[in-house]
Amino acid sequence: MEENTKNATQVNPKGQSAPGKPKIEKCRSPEKETFTCWWKPGSDGGIPTNYTLFYRKEGESLTHECPDYKTGGPNSCYFNKKHTSIWMVYIIWVNATNQMGKSMSDPRYVDVTYIVEPDPPLNLTLEVKQPEDGKPYLWLKWSPPAMVDVRSGWLTLQYELRLKPEKAAEWETHFAGQQTQFKIFSLYLGQKYLVEVRCKPDHGSWSQWSPQSSILIPSDVKMKDTTVWIFVAVLSSIVCLIIVWTMALKGYSMITCLLPPVPGPKIKGFDTHLLEKGKSEELLSALGCQGFPPTSDCEDLLVEFLEVDDNEDQQLMPTHVKDHPSQGMKPTHLDPDSDSGRGSCDSPSLLSEKCEEPRVPPPTFPIPEVNEKPEDPGTKMTHSWDPQPQGINLEGKIPYFSAIGSKSSTWPMPQQSSNHNLRSSYHNIADICKVALGTVNAPAVSLKKEENQALNYSTTIDTVGKGATDKQNELEHFHSKADQDSTWLLPKEKMPFMSPRPMDYVEIHKVNKDGALSLLPKQKESSVHGEQAGTPDTSKEYTKVSRVMDNNILVLMQDPRAQAAMTFEESAKETPQPLPHNQAEKNLSYCTSSPGDCRLQTGGLDYLDPTCFMHSFN
Amino acid sequence: MYTKRSPLKGSLLLLLLMLNLLLSRSVESLPICPSGAVNCQVSLSDLFDRAVMLSHYIHSLSSEMFNEFDERYAQGRGFITKAINSCHTSSLSTPEDKEQAQQIHHEQLLNLVLGVLRSWNEPLYHLVTEVRSMQEAPHTILLKAMEIEEQNKRLLEGMEKIVGQVHPGERENEVYSAWSGLPSLQMADEDARLFAFYNLLHCLRRDSHKIDNYLKLLKCRLIHDSNC
Repeated sequence: MEENTKNATQVNPKGQSAPGKPKIEKCRSPEKETFTCWWKPGSDGGIPTNYTLFYRKEGESLTHECPDYKTGGPNSCYFNKKHTSIWMVYIIWVNATNQMGKSMSDPRYVDVTYIVEPDPPLNLTLEVKQPEDGKPYLWLKWSPPAMVDVRSGWLTLQYELRLKPEKAAEWETHFAGQQTQFKIFSLYLGQKYLVEVRCKPDHGSWSQWSPQSSILIPSDVKMKDTTVWIFVAVLSSIVCLIIVWTMALKGYSMITCLLPPVPGPKIKGFDTHLLEKGKSEELLSALGCQGFPPTSDCEDLLVEFLEVDDNEDQQLMPTHVKDHPSQGMKPTHLDPDSDSGRGSCDSPSLLSEKCEEPRVPPPTFPIPEVNEKPEDPGTKMTHSWDPQPQGINLEGKIPYFSAIGSKSSTWPMPQQSSNHNLRSSYHNIADICKVALGTVNAPAVSLKKEENQALNYSTTIDTVGKGATDKQNELEHFHSKADQDSTWLLPKEKMPFMSPRPMDYVEIHKVNKDGALSLLPKQKESSVHGEQAGTPDTSKEYTKVSRVMDNNILVLMQDPRAQAAMTFEESAKETPQPLPHNQAEKNLSYCTSSPGDCRLQTGGLDYLDPTCFMHSFN
Repeated sequence: MYTKRSPLKGSLLLLLLMLNLLLSRSVESLPICPSGAVNCQVSLSDLFDRAVMLSHYIHSLSSEMFNEFDERYAQGRGFITKAINSCHTSSLSTPEDKEQAQQIHHEQLLNLVLGVLRSWNEPLYHLVTEVRSMQEAPHTILLKAMEIEEQNKRLLEGMEKIVGQVHPGERENEVYSAWSGLPSLQMADEDARLFAFYNLLHCLRRDSHKIDNYLKLLKCRLIHDSNC
């Protein structure tokens, strides 16, 4: 050893040295009867080195040299049967020797029992079997490796196989146990399969995979199936063609047979003309949508509606009336005056006493009560207007009448002002107007008349804002359905507010429980003196706001109608000028009660006293 | 076609499942003969199948147990160099290769198997108790030791039945090797104690492999006429 170490470090002038330390790399027994060990030489020191392997067996003291250096290849030692003992530890080492010295590897302790690694199985055969009544399957057969003695039971082998279609990425592995055959049923037809098999002894390592075998699985083309499918395809295509041809020729009659046309609705008072025009508001109003707009909007609407542009003519500007279907009001440009447009419930000074029932939401414009269906066609008109405080900014093009079912409510009658920019719209001007009209218009009132009147009304209302005459067409909302109470007006949003139509006072006669307003036209002369509550027969309706006075009084004007109120124009209204306050007060005298009590009374000439608002606002 | 086969396949699957459940249970649950039965004659084939199953199982457990112990406690200690010729059953002259095993008479071989099995009764018992008292008792090693001890008893019973059938009446001397390694398992010196365990597990692995191999040879020879 000393010599070894000495030699290991010594390098002669030629650069040669003793060999480096070899290392036994692997020992393997293929059948548990022989085994082979391979070593890896260290550096040879530049000169030919001789390697020798020695071993000692457990329980013996003799050292033996490797019996066979050749069979296992270079740097190997093969132990044949004679030299192999099982259940015994071998102590093996390798000596490397050259001219300069020698070296020895570390001893390796080998028990053949635990180094068994067989050769791969042999004779792998593949066969495609095609049973008559089924899909083809693959039958694999193989035999154990050559040297392994399985028959005596010395080694028990277990097999594993794997296969894949030629171009597949992953193998499909199957464990076959101790059998030497296997059947594969799940195959892709028409593909070439690659198969490999390997084996493992009962207490050893897996062998390498056998060489690949390949086989082509034939496609399963049965004439019988093909014929059937072709027949089915042809038949179904013929049937489809027949159906298409029949449909083409007699499509219409068939459809009418299958799906008879739905009869049109026959609603009393429904005007198909309006339907044709396609104005949804009118339609909906014609259908008599009760309680429209939904109360949730009312507040918004009312809020919007009451806004009056202060900077302009100090006239009440009608707010937009939103379309009936469009629930959401446009964002209103609320006046800083929070009181603007507040309904009677919101303004404690106004109609507060009458607000017994909570309204949802409290309307900004309290709508005067309207009686339930007035018996007579003559609508009871109730005056109502919402005198707007100066600071109120009414925005919207159309005055908003929210026909809330509340008892008392007023709505402002916006006056025309071309300068005002009405952005909000009102839902229920239509309501109010309708109420006004509706009560006038008995259920059976001809639509046309109503329509015209409604148109007129709406225009007036519009003109309160802008009211182009052509906007009268947008009075579809004036359709009253059979239920006269539910008529309301839904003027179009877009109705400009710039119509210079004269304004009239409209008296809200009453508000029925549905929130329909019955409006009475206000006589010009009597506008000052107002109480016409006792004239239920008056069939005048006021739906037009001629202007807003600086007292925030809505000056309503009457629209001419056959049955409904007549529209007349105040002389004063042509010039949008603020009425003098006293006149406003005069107008306010319509208030049946004290100025502070702008209640609307059922059955009487009810209207909102603008002064009520004024007081509250001031 | 497949619709026709599917009920058949289903029942086959069910049968396989039940078989699997039965087989996966502890081997001791497989009854050979109900206890008390006098005329019960389980076939030799079944006896050998069961014996081979047990011996295979025992060796698998022993191999795992040894590997675990080696990895955990014996690294770098060079125990293998000392565990040479140190098994107590080496006094029993067992065949050392295939030729010797094939030349030995099956009765003799059976007796040898019995001898080795009997020789391990006591060491296994002490192995369990000593592993339990080990510092940081390795739970898996303990479980395996307990299982091996249990199955060794079963295998012994089965082998005695086989011998009773193969070689009835004749009762040879019960040859077995006595084990005297208990003191070394209880030594205070950690290193010495661990080596004692290592050695015991090393010998157990080897002897269980021997038994397994002999039984498979006997099975193929006696049952399958050397044509497994």
